[in-house]
Amino acid sequence: MTPTLGSFRPGASPLHRLPAWSKVLTLFIWAIVSMVITDPVTALGLCAAALLLLVSVLPSPKPTLKGLGFILVVAAMTAAYQVYRGYVAAGIDIAADLVGLFALSLAVTGSTSMNDMLDFAARLARPFRRILPPTIPGLMFAIMLRTIPEVANIMRESRDAAKARGIRRSPSALMIPTATRTVGFALDLGAALHARGIGDEARFDAPSARRTPLTAPAGTE
Amino acid sequence: MIEFKEAAVVAPESGVPILHPTTLTLSEQRITIIGANGSGKSTLARLINGLALPVSGSVQVDGLDTRKHGALVRRKVGFLFTDPSAQLIMPTALEDVMLSLRRVVRTKSERVNAALAALEDIGLGDKGDVSVNALSGGQRQLLALAGVLTATPLVVVADEPTTLLDLRWKAHVGALLQALPIQLIEVTHDLEAATRAQRTLVIDEGSVVFDGSPVDAVAHYRDLMYRKTSESRS
Repeated sequence: MTPTLGSFRPGASPLHRLPAWSKVLTLFIWAIVSMVITDPVTALGLCAAALLLLVSVLPSPKPTLKGLGFILVVAAMTAAYQVYRGYVAAGIDIAADLVGLFALSLAVTGSTSMNDMLDFAARLARPFRRILPPTIPGLMFAIMLRTIPEVANIMRESRDAAKARGIRRSPSALMIPTATRTVGFALDLGAALHARGIGDEARFDAPSARRTPLTAPAGTE
Repeated sequence: MIEFKEAAVVAPESGVPILHPTTLTLSEQRITIIGANGSGKSTLARLINGLALPVSGSVQVDGLDTRKHGALVRRKVGFLFTDPSAQLIMPTALEDVMLSLRRVVRTKSERVNAALAALEDIGLGDKGDVSVNALSGGQRQLLALAGVLTATPLVVVADEPTTLLDLRWKAHVGALLQALPIQLIEVTHDLEAATRAQRTLVIDEGSVVFDGSPVDAVAHYRDLMYRKTSESRS
């Protein structure tokens, strides 16, 4: 499964209780601070703090360790290159920054539900509400996340279907059915949005629509 | 009360008729629709909530025209699709039900509680934070139904809701649908399920060819299919 989709785990840690915006802001500031400070001891301290925060969230062990393992390899390779060039302090700093930021981002995604993230995304996009109703950006983000595993599945099935008919290593036998079935999925998803009245609700929320309502919902200006 | 007045649908580009002008009044609590693949039964079902619009004639739900008041009609008519994968929009079960509640429940904490209660009612109480992709086909269809029901519709139109399910889930989802205290219009290929209704429509080549008691409707449909098969062989 795609790690971004299954990483949230409900819990009662201090990070779980913080609002989404404060966590994203912290992550942002943390990234700037760790890039500006080049002292290896401070970098190691920040890295240790981030790892502790990650542990406090109690994330799912397997995907977290897998992710950390991957970033450790990248950090070790980067550090080795810097040490080889004679910059030992810089090597330690970069490696600690990488691991620390990755751990903190895992802590944020592990402690923030998709709904909170969507609300936050919707709030970020508020200045653009004249062209984009407030519920739409969040919805777009959710649909994108929802579609990734679905398209991966369509791709796997198309590959199996090609293989079953004895076609191997033919990009068109994989890409054409994947593309057409993805369009089919999008059409079905569109029909479902329509059937659940989700687009309608967004239209009522848009300020431009409020002035000329077709069906005069409650709260019309 | 659902009323079709000479409602007809044609394919947008070729102009081939999908549903010939049809006049119907659907007021019974349990109605089933049967017919061959491509006969026009899904189109008929989609006309009820305005997902499809008639090119001529009209469809009304409680006096509201699906063309003029599409959004209001869809608040009254919930729709359950064959493949729940496309019906589920949000990444986790709880979030998907909460999406249906956005219009009805304004504050977030109430929405969470209402969604949890809806999941509990349908038997998915422990699946709230589970990714939609990790649910089985049957669980997904239950979740889709929970999403439809939380919007408190007056009618549920189900387009082959059990076609993709195994026998156990078919029985489970079928029983849940039967227990709904609201009007249910079900398109189905399951002839046994088709008889659990007060009225059954048989659709063939874009027309309602039989409208009456479920047992007679199934007999009519079987006859029709056998006749067509033997005609195509000879």
